[in-house]
Amino acid sequence: MNPSIEIQMIAAVTAAACAIPGVFLVLRKMALISDAISHSILPGIVIGFMITQDLASPLLILLAAFSGIITVILVEMIQKTGLVKEDTAIGLVFPALFSIGVILIAQNANDVHLDVDAVLLGELAFAPFDRFYINDTDIGPKALWTISVILLITISLMLAFYKELKLSTFDVGLSSALGFSPVILHYGLMSVASVTTVAAFDAVGAILVVALMITPAAAAYLLTTDLKKMLVLSILFGVSSAIGGYWLARLLDASISGSITTVLGLLFLGIYFFAPSKGLIAVLLRQNRQRKEVSLLTFLLHLNNHDSTEERGVAHLQEHINWRRVRAKSVLDLAVQNNMITIENQVVSLTRKGLEFTEKALEYIITNKDEKIEDMKDDFFLFRG
Amino acid sequence: MVEKIAVAVDDLTVAYNYKPVLWDIDLSIPEGVLMAIVGPNGAGKSTLIKSILGIIDPIAGSVAIFGKPYSKQRDKVAYVPQKGSVDWDFPTTALDVVMMGTYGSLGWIKRPGAKEKKQSLEALEKVGMLAFKSRQISQLSGGQQQRIFLARALVQDAAIYFMDEPFQGVDATTEIAIINILKELRKAGKTVIVVHHDLQTVPEYFDWVTFLNVKHIATGPVKDIFNDDNLTKTYGINYKVAVQK
Ligand SMILES: Nc1ncnc2c1ncn2[C@@H]1O[C@H](COP(=O)(O)OP(=O)(O)OP(=O)(O)O)[C@@H](O)[C@H]1O
Ligand SMILES: [Mg+2]
Repeated sequence: MNPSIEIQMIAAVTAAACAIPGVFLVLRKMALISDAISHSILPGIVIGFMITQDLASPLLILLAAFSGIITVILVEMIQKTGLVKEDTAIGLVFPALFSIGVILIAQNANDVHLDVDAVLLGELAFAPFDRFYINDTDIGPKALWTISVILLITISLMLAFYKELKLSTFDVGLSSALGFSPVILHYGLMSVASVTTVAAFDAVGAILVVALMITPAAAAYLLTTDLKKMLVLSILFGVSSAIGGYWLARLLDASISGSITTVLGLLFLGIYFFAPSKGLIAVLLRQNRQRKEVSLLTFLLHLNNHDSTEERGVAHLQEHINWRRVRAKSVLDLAVQNNMITIENQVVSLTRKGLEFTEKALEYIITNKDEKIEDMKDDFFLFRG
Repeated sequence: MVEKIAVAVDDLTVAYNYKPVLWDIDLSIPEGVLMAIVGPNGAGKSTLIKSILGIIDPIAGSVAIFGKPYSKQRDKVAYVPQKGSVDWDFPTTALDVVMMGTYGSLGWIKRPGAKEKKQSLEALEKVGMLAFKSRQISQLSGGQQQRIFLARALVQDAAIYFMDEPFQGVDATTEIAIINILKELRKAGKTVIVVHHDLQTVPEYFDWVTFLNVKHIATGPVKDIFNDDNLTKTYGINYKVAVQK
């Protein structure tokens, strides 16, 4: 295999392995904790490296993952005192652990071939140089093997405990009442997140690990209301950004990790704006439409209430409709388009259909069934705001 | 005739951050009653239910469900939490939430199948929410959400039901629908324990009542103990309600 394909495979597998725990972290509103873990595993990595002299050794991964778990435990202990909130507790714990790691590196600078830059940013381009040999046969980069094993373990755990993870994330109370200990599930998830972070950090650095865990899940969350789809979408987003980022780096001759992070960011931004129902544009359009339709309704009710031609003059109605919120003309247009009103000599009258619509709406308002008006609009409106 | 005791609470004391919110509670609830727990906001009603269900660890005392610890009797107990205790924006549908009620009988790892789905659809039908089965739960009204949680408790097919304010924020029609389901459960021999705030309706809806305000004040049949004396002890002010005979 050539290095280019190997790098892409490492990036893609890492992205998939990060996306799965990432979905649950995002749903549990624990995005920050992944940042904390990715930093506070540093002392574990340094100590592990001093013992094993090998960044990809399983012992080092376990030691480092253990310091990730310690982070989670410390955060919870501080939080339980009730003196500070969770984000503050996180902010207290991880810089402390991270700085212990930095001091350890500085103290042992001579025999530890580690530097802080590499830890934070990683260097995917070098990942293929560290090879895995069985009986002197080269079977590929070590990083690819490590992260693939972790991906397999993550997928099997997720398939086995999908229902438990879902329940304990959605409703802690029921989860514990039914005997699915939220504590065990919480630490299980944190262990997976820690192990994945450690394994991924060697290849891609701490910052990209956080981006790969949180961004795909956050983007998928905007697109679906189905947890299974959210998982699949997150993996897809992660993997495609990883490969897209690699080619962007080639094109710009830039850092691969940096490019992947950029692609992830752009992808998220695009989805944030354009997602069909939760995206910013869709939300604004919907609000605008609702405003217009509410104005239309009050306007039609007003017509229904007042018979005198004076009250039904276009000029007067324009005053009646709240100018600052919507343009009166667009409301009138909408009413005409839907065949609710006719305008003759600047005087507005309700059509038969308009009358029927308002009477029904009035009835719903009086009987406190306002929500039914929404459904009714579907029946009456050919065009919506 | 000796009544079977469904829930026995013995010397229970519960604290948050070392501040006790329930003091030395002794309580026994006979099987087959439809019981209200009443008390002011912050009285510890939710806390009592959560500690009976092992969601909160008490600092002292014990709880028995049909004579055994709760951890051995999980399958006999269903629970409807007080609103707002779940993540409404979670990506899940009404049917999915109801199916969660079947997880307890499935145990670890096993996934719900066709049988569980059928039970859940029946429960949705019973609470009149079948038409909403594919809705994301945040897109339901407060009363509809409450019905979904009731359906989730129904599929648990338990012997004892705990419900924390099932009538909170529901309209009169839904309230009647819910109370009828609860009465049906009692007719089927189940024990139903409900945190309730509307004192006016206690005599009409329930046959037993517990008064609680940090301490346990009284438990017994509504006709014997639902009186001004206990209401005053619980709420601190002289509470006048018309007790319907
Ligand atoms: N997680 C918590 N941490 C600290 N204190 C808590 C917590 N939950 C409840 N409390 C406190 O414990 C007391 C009892 O609360 P609980 O929720 O049991 O009251 P309640 O009777 O259910 O009230 P309501 O009628 O408002 O639902 C209150 O004083 C409350 O402030
Ligand atoms: Mg409560």
